[in-house]
Amino acid sequence: MEGTTYKVNRLKTTNEIRPLVDKHWADLRTAKERGELVAWASGPTFIFAYAMGMKCHFMAGYASYCGGIGAGEEVLKVAEMAGDLPESCSYHRLHMGMAEAVKRDIEINPQALLPLPDLMVAGRLCTEMSYYAEGLYRRMGVPVLPIEFPMIFEKEDIPRLREFMYRQFTEIVIPEFERVCGKPFDYDRMSEILSVLKKVATLRNECWEFFKDIPARWTLWDYGVSIAPVFYLMGNPKGITYYEKLLKELQERRENNIPAIAPDGENYRLYWDSWLPWAFLGKFMRKFTPHGAVCLCGRYPWEFFPHPELIDPEHPVETWTDLYFGQQSHLCYNFSPKGAIDSIGELIEEYSLDGMVMFSSKTCRLWNVSQMEVLDALEKKYGIPGVVIEGDMIDSAMISDSQIETRLEALFELIDSRRT
Amino acid sequence: MAIVVGVDIGSLATKTVVLGPGKEILAYDILRSGHNYQQASQESINNALSSAGFKREDVSYILSTGYGRGVATLSSLADAEVTEITCHAKGAERLFSDVRTIIDIGGQDSKVIGIDEKGDVTNFVMNDKCAAGTGRFLEVMASALSVDIGGMGDLIMSSSGKVDVSSMCTVFAESEVISLFAKGHKKADIAAGIADSIARRITGLVGQVGLKEKVTMSGGVAKNRGVVHAIEERIGTSLVVSEEPQIVGALGAAIIAANRTKDL
Repeated sequence: MEGTTYKVNRLKTTNEIRPLVDKHWADLRTAKERGELVAWASGPTFIFAYAMGMKCHFMAGYASYCGGIGAGEEVLKVAEMAGDLPESCSYHRLHMGMAEAVKRDIEINPQALLPLPDLMVAGRLCTEMSYYAEGLYRRMGVPVLPIEFPMIFEKEDIPRLREFMYRQFTEIVIPEFERVCGKPFDYDRMSEILSVLKKVATLRNECWEFFKDIPARWTLWDYGVSIAPVFYLMGNPKGITYYEKLLKELQERRENNIPAIAPDGENYRLYWDSWLPWAFLGKFMRKFTPHGAVCLCGRYPWEFFPHPELIDPEHPVETWTDLYFGQQSHLCYNFSPKGAIDSIGELIEEYSLDGMVMFSSKTCRLWNVSQMEVLDALEKKYGIPGVVIEGDMIDSAMISDSQIETRLEALFELIDSRRT
Repeated sequence: MAIVVGVDIGSLATKTVVLGPGKEILAYDILRSGHNYQQASQESINNALSSAGFKREDVSYILSTGYGRGVATLSSLADAEVTEITCHAKGAERLFSDVRTIIDIGGQDSKVIGIDEKGDVTNFVMNDKCAAGTGRFLEVMASALSVDIGGMGDLIMSSSGKVDVSSMCTVFAESEVISLFAKGHKKADIAAGIADSIARRITGLVGQVGLKEKVTMSGGVAKNRGVVHAIEERIGTSLVVSEEPQIVGALGAAIIAANRTKDL
């Protein structure tokens, strides 16, 4: 409402994530000093390293961490000075920048430094991921294990793609980890990790229900900072404690009718498409909040194990395969554009949304191809407007604040005009 | 007598429209924005009011739009701000009631807006953050061709065979123009190629919004009949262009201001 000063009611529990995250990255930084083996992973493959007791870092996880500690820009600059193309994948550049800093002893934020890995598992979701892995191998001598994550377009393709994926895990990934670690694969540990994940994801799903409240009790940005326990903190029992506390706080908010957006709740309930802008969660939040706008859901943030009931710790490798190539669970950009129209359509109804924001990364086009088509179809079906905003997950050079603000404000005006 | 003002503070030009009690246009003003948007907006408003024979105290509501709209509200010059997307829709509907698609090429961006019969926005797209297909792009190209921006339209129309300017990037297009000169191409044919490169860019945006006739063009570039012609050829329909296309956003802002005054 015009004249209302909106602000975010901060959650207390989210303050407790930082120590968990910091410890994870500190352990990774110092792993070699303790004689531990280190892996890097792109694509959802890090669980195999965790099962073998290796410290492991995951591509998007490092991007979010670098964003959180404000180190993204300086690491990207190192990559650029080393010759990486400024318009290539910013995740790729971030990692090459960090690796260059390690190799050439270039001074960057010491918290952003990681040991070079004993094995890089290059799960290929896109061609740039191959480029990234190839760069690590060619420039740093890092051993790379490439595996494919093929795109699914039709449900009938799932059985053969699932078989392909399962065989990659059992015939390539697991034997390679056994070779690198010099011991048999630890299926029991993988089961334990999945047991913890099942509990965390179940609690997290209960928390998601509070996005449906009107007014909402928390925001997508709060979830963005709470994502680590279902992400690279997977298997850490402290993730259960975190989400138990979060759930309790959200229940208290509901009982006391405390909204996520003060003073009286949100004016616009929005969908967010594509990656989260990891380095700029606060910056983006501040573009929405003054208008009483709140993002409540998105396909990508919803991708992290939304079906805990499918997790069967007794069959860890089969479960892991089915989570990505199963009939009921898969990477969220698969089946696009039809899958996107269906899944966003469900979210529009479940979360009582007023509008859609399609985040279009300038350096990762994985999501962008059909965004306009998806927007058009959803607008016709549900009568709610949407807008495409351009930016990047970590590279501020790809962000024009005034253009984003104009588009968002135009979206709010569009929503208003349809209400009257 | 209640009069209202709409001011469109763009990156290159600031435009003001003064509306009378019957929402008739009493006066308008256009000036270069320069580097001080607050000063430009004050000056433009004063100019327009002076032309209309009014003073600031006669104004019941000022609404700002354009990239500098926040400057006017923060300095309390304007009572409220609305995006140029909504304002262009209202302004275009006032000028041409049967228009359903607006092509606006301003100094900093280009956009295509779909509107309904009430002048409400149905959907819109904007160029990404590079300058390709904007007024700034045309200015740089005019400089590369050593012609006055005002003379570009006639130059384009005098072309007997446009050459292909493929670069979308302003900097690369500038160097491409120089290399086309080196190859002996005529200035007019290069200018026509530049106009066509803008038209290609705009056609892509029109495709995303969905072409619905009639189509109008607003913004300073709409004064360039060479670019207008190039867009018409690309999208396959004629454009209706108002006598002063640069004030469409400011006019829309003034109309919204008038509607709000009515509600007060």
